[in-house]
Amino acid sequence: MSDRQRNLFVLLLVAGLLLASAVAVATKPTKLGLDLQGGVELVYQVKPRAGQPAPTPETIQRTIDVMRERVDQLGVAEPEIQQAGGDQINVALPDVSNLQQAIKQVGTVAQLAFYDWEPTVIGPDGQPDPENAAVTGGPSAGDASAGLTLYDALLRAEKRPAKVEPDNSRDGNLYFAVDRDAKKVYGLGEETEAEALQNVPAAKKAGASVITVKPDTVILRAQKPADGPKPDRWFVLKDDVALAGKEIKDPEQNFDQGTGGSGQPIVTFSFSDQGRRTWESVTKAIAQRGQESVGILQSGDQTLQHFAIVLDNELVSSPTIDYRQYPEGIDGRNGSQIEGGFTIGTAQELANILKTGALPVQLELISSSQVSATLGRQALNQGLVAGVAGFIVVALFLLIFYRVLGVIAVAALAVYGVYFFALIKSIPVVLTLPGIAGLILTLGVAADANIVIFERVKEEIRGGRSIASGIATGYKKGLSAIIDANVVIVMVAFILFTLATAGVQGFALTLGLGVIVSLFTAVLATQAILGAMSKSRFISNPSALGAEKPKGNRFRLDYMGYSKWFFSASGVILLVCALALGSKGINFGIDFESGTRINVELKQNVDENKVRGVLRGEGLADAKIQKVTGNKDAKGASQFQISTDNLRPLEVSRVTDALAEAFGSANTPSSTSIGPTFGQTVANSAVIAILASLFVISAYIALRFEPKYAVPVLIALTHDILITAGVYALVGQEVTTATVAALLTILGYSLYDTIIVFDRIRENVPRMPRAAFSQIVNRSMSEVIVRSLATTFSTALPVLALLLFGGETLQAFAFALLVGTLSGTYSSIFIAGPVLTLWKERETVYRRRHVRIAAENGGVVPAFATGAANEQIDPDAKRKLRKGQRVTAPDDPEAGVSREEFEELVRDLHIDPVPQRTAAAKSKPKPKPKPASVRDESADAMPEDVVMPPARDDSAAAPKRSKRSSAAAKRRGKHGRPR
Amino acid sequence: MGLLAWTMIGLALWHFTVFLPDRCWSGIIGAFLGCNFGAILFGLAIHGFAVPGQNDTDLITALEGVPGAMIGYGLMYWLGVRQEARAGEEDELLAT
Repeated sequence: MSDRQRNLFVLLLVAGLLLASAVAVATKPTKLGLDLQGGVELVYQVKPRAGQPAPTPETIQRTIDVMRERVDQLGVAEPEIQQAGGDQINVALPDVSNLQQAIKQVGTVAQLAFYDWEPTVIGPDGQPDPENAAVTGGPSAGDASAGLTLYDALLRAEKRPAKVEPDNSRDGNLYFAVDRDAKKVYGLGEETEAEALQNVPAAKKAGASVITVKPDTVILRAQKPADGPKPDRWFVLKDDVALAGKEIKDPEQNFDQGTGGSGQPIVTFSFSDQGRRTWESVTKAIAQRGQESVGILQSGDQTLQHFAIVLDNELVSSPTIDYRQYPEGIDGRNGSQIEGGFTIGTAQELANILKTGALPVQLELISSSQVSATLGRQALNQGLVAGVAGFIVVALFLLIFYRVLGVIAVAALAVYGVYFFALIKSIPVVLTLPGIAGLILTLGVAADANIVIFERVKEEIRGGRSIASGIATGYKKGLSAIIDANVVIVMVAFILFTLATAGVQGFALTLGLGVIVSLFTAVLATQAILGAMSKSRFISNPSALGAEKPKGNRFRLDYMGYSKWFFSASGVILLVCALALGSKGINFGIDFESGTRINVELKQNVDENKVRGVLRGEGLADAKIQKVTGNKDAKGASQFQISTDNLRPLEVSRVTDALAEAFGSANTPSSTSIGPTFGQTVANSAVIAILASLFVISAYIALRFEPKYAVPVLIALTHDILITAGVYALVGQEVTTATVAALLTILGYSLYDTIIVFDRIRENVPRMPRAAFSQIVNRSMSEVIVRSLATTFSTALPVLALLLFGGETLQAFAFALLVGTLSGTYSSIFIAGPVLTLWKERETVYRRRHVRIAAENGGVVPAFATGAANEQIDPDAKRKLRKGQRVTAPDDPEAGVSREEFEELVRDLHIDPVPQRTAAAKSKPKPKPKPASVRDESADAMPEDVVMPPARDDSAAAPKRSKRSSAAAKRRGKHGRPR
Repeated sequence: MGLLAWTMIGLALWHFTVFLPDRCWSGIIGAFLGCNFGAILFGLAIHGFAVPGQNDTDLITALEGVPGAMIGYGLMYWLGVRQEARAGEEDELLAT
C-alpha cells in the first residue's frame, strides 16, 4: 500500500468512526455516577460470622445476589452492586435520598431467630431465672422498661461460660470495648478484640478494656416502641434458638384482621415442614409451662409465657402463647405472624427482607455517602465548564504555537473528544467527577503526543528535509517516545484502577481509555491528514508549520554545568517541605482518618456559633464547622461543612434534622461517613499503588532503555512525590483519595518528560561516539527542552482549568496535579538528566572520553562537543533555508539521517567531510582496522567506523519508486549492465 | 509520617552532595542510598525501630534524619575512597 493509499484509508477510517461516534453520542444515554446525579453509596466490609470460616468468593457473590434482590424491591433504577477488593461490597443507589432506609434495606443481615423467652433470659447471677419477673419482665417481656443498659447487660453476659451447641446463633466470641470507669460501651460488638478497640476514640483508648461475650450467650436490644427510636435497653439471653429464620417461607405484609385482631400491619409467614414441626413442639412446651405455672405465679396474664422473635439481635416482638387457647401448641400449617408495632412501610420492609433471606455473611458498613441531586447537577456543570475551558486553552496554545500544525492538532483533539464521549456512552462507563477530571487530563495527553511529534517534524525540516520527508521522519522518530510515555501512563492507570476506591477507579478508567484513544487520533489521524496535505500549498513554507530557523538557540545552556544550582534549589525546597511536614504534619481527610462530613444548606443566614449550639445539643460540641462561601449555585442563605468523628446514619439524620428544625433546610443534605477500616484500606491501597507504580515504571524503563536509566527516573519520581507531599504539608491542603490518584498521575506525567529527554539521549549516544556523556546530555537537553516545556504547558493548561472551574472536589485534585506537573518537568530536566550523567560518566568508556577531552581542552570539558578545528558543533549548523523557500526537494524518508545530519556526525567524530577524506586517503595509507575479536569494547568508535550509506542503493531502505524506475532496476539487474 | 519526614530530609541533603567530590561508592547513586537509608535507619534507631505516626511527628523528629543522612553519606564516601585505593593498588601491581 502506498503512502497515499494508506493516508486515504486512515482518513476514511477516521471519518467512518467519527460518524459512528456521532450516532452513538446522539442516541445512547450517558450513565452518570452518584456524585453527578445524586444518590446513596454504601461500602460494606464482608466479615465471617463469629466462629465461621472466612467468606469465600461464592459466599460474597451470594450476598451480592441477595442485596440486588433487595435493591430491586426498593425500585431503584440502575443500581450498581459490585465486589471491591477482596472483601468489600460497593452499593451505588442513584436517585435514592433516604440514606437510613437504604442501609436498612440493603445491608441488614436479616438473621431471624425465635427464642423461648422465659427459660433463656439471664439473671444477675449469670443463670436463667424463668420465674423471676424482675429478670424476664413478666407481662412486659422484651419491653425496654424491663431491659438493662448495654454496660450492665455486658457485665451480666461476662459471667457466662462458653458452650458451643448446635442451636447457637453464633459459634465464636463477641468483643465489646468498654470504659469501666465511665460505664460506657463503644460499638455493638466485634469479631476480634482489635476491631472492638478500633471503636474507641483515640483520646479514650487509655481507659478502655474489652468484655468478651462467649458462645451460648446473646445480647438483644429491647423491643422498639411503635412510635419512637430504638431503645438503648438490652437483655441477656441463653443462645438456644428454638426456631431459625431459614425455616420460614412466604413472608408477606398483612393486617391483623383475625378474631380480635387489631387491624394493625403485621408480617405473616408459613413454615417449612421441619419448621412446622419445630414450631408446634416449641409452642406446646411454652403452653405447658404456662399451665404449670398457674398457682406458682399469680394468675391471669402473669402465667402467660412468651416467645421472642429476634432479627439481627434486635427484639422485634415477644408474643405470648395462651395455654388456654393452645394447650397442644399452635398448629404450624396455617403459618404464623409477627406483630411489633409496625407501620405499613416497616412491615413491608421486614417482609421483603425475610423474603430475600438472610445474608450469608456479616456486613460492616465502613463508608456511606449521600449526595443530593442538586449538588450532583452542580458538580456536573462545574466539570463540563472545566472540560470546555480546558479544551479551549489547549486549542489556543496549539494554534498559536504550531499554526497550521496546530489547526490539525485541534481538529484531532475535537475528533478525540467525540470518539471518547461515544466510547463512554457505548461501553458504558459510569461518568463520575474524577472521571471527568481524567477526561480533561487526557486532552493534555493527546496534545502532548502532538507536540512531541510536531517538534520532531519541525526539527527534521529545519535539519534540511523536505516537508513530506520531515513529516514522515518526524512521526517515525517521535513515535517511540510517545509510545513509551503512554504505555507508562496506561500502566499507572491500570494499577490505580485495580487498587483504588470506586471514585478514583472512574478517573483511572477514563485516563487509561483516553490515552489509548488519543494515540489513535494524535498519531495516526494527524499523520494521515499531514501526509495528505504534504504537497499542499498550505504547508509548503516552513513558517506555516512554525519550522522556520529560530534566531539563535535560546535554550542552548550548559545544563550539566548549572545542575549543581538546580540541585541546590530542589534541596532547599525539600528541606523546607520536610520541616513543614515535621512541624505541621499532613492534613489527612476523612478518607484516611475516618469520620463523617455533612454538608448542609440552611434557609437562615446563621454563623458557626449558632450551628455549634445546635450540634452541642446532639453531643457534637467538638465538631469542626466550616462556613462555605462563594457557592453561586447555593439555594440557602448559608452553607456549612461539618466534620465529626464517624457517625452512624441515624446520628447523621439526627444532626441534619436538628439543623433543619432550627434554621430551615434549603436543600437535601449531603453526607459522607468513612469508618476506620475503610480509611485504613484506602491508606494501604495508596501505598501499595505508589510502590507498584514505581516498580512497574522502573522495570519498563530498564527494559526499554537500560537498567541504569531506571535509577535516575526513580529518584526524579521520588523527588516529585515528596515535593508534592511537602507542598501539601506547607499549605495545609487536605489529602484525600483524589490526591493519591493525582500523585499516581504525576508519576505518569513526570515520566513523560523524562522519557522525552532520555529518548533523545539514547538517540544521541551512538551519534556522538567521541563526546563526553555530559556533552551528549547537554545537546539532548537543548534539542528537547522546547517540547518538554510545551508538553508541560499543554498539561498544565487543562489542570489550571480544573483548578479554576472544577468545583471543590476537582480543585483539590487539580492542585496536586499542578504542583506535581511543574515538579515533574523540573526533575526530568534538572534532576534525572544530571543524575544519569554523573552515574554514566563513571563508566570506563565515558571516563576515558572525559579524560581525553579535558586533556585536549586545557583540563576543561566543554559544555558541548567540539569539532576537529575545536569549533563548537552546532547541531543546526548549515541547515538554514532561504526564507520563503519551498522545501520540496525529494529525499529519502526511510534513511536514518539526512545528508546534513551525516556531515554533522562526521564533524562530531573529528574527521573531515567525505570528499576531503577521500582525497586524503590517496596521500595517506589507510590504517588497518583491528580485527573485531581483539578490539576493546569500551574504546571509542573510530572515524573509520562511520560510513555514509549510499542514499539510493540500498533496496531495503529505499523508498517506493515509480513503476518505471522499478522496471528499469529490474532490467539493470537482468542484463548486468551498469548505467 | 516520621518515615516520610526522614526520607524527605535524606533526599534534601543528598541534593547538596553534588558540591562534594564524587568519590562515593557507586557515585551519586551511592550518595543517594547513603543519605536516605542513613536518615531512615538513624531515625528508626532513635525511636526503638518504631515509626512515629502523624501525631508523634514534630520538627525534632524530622531533624533526626540529618545526622543519619550525614553518617550514611560518610559511610558511602569511605567505601568509595577505599575502593579507589584498592583499584589504585591493583593498577600499580599490574604496571609492575
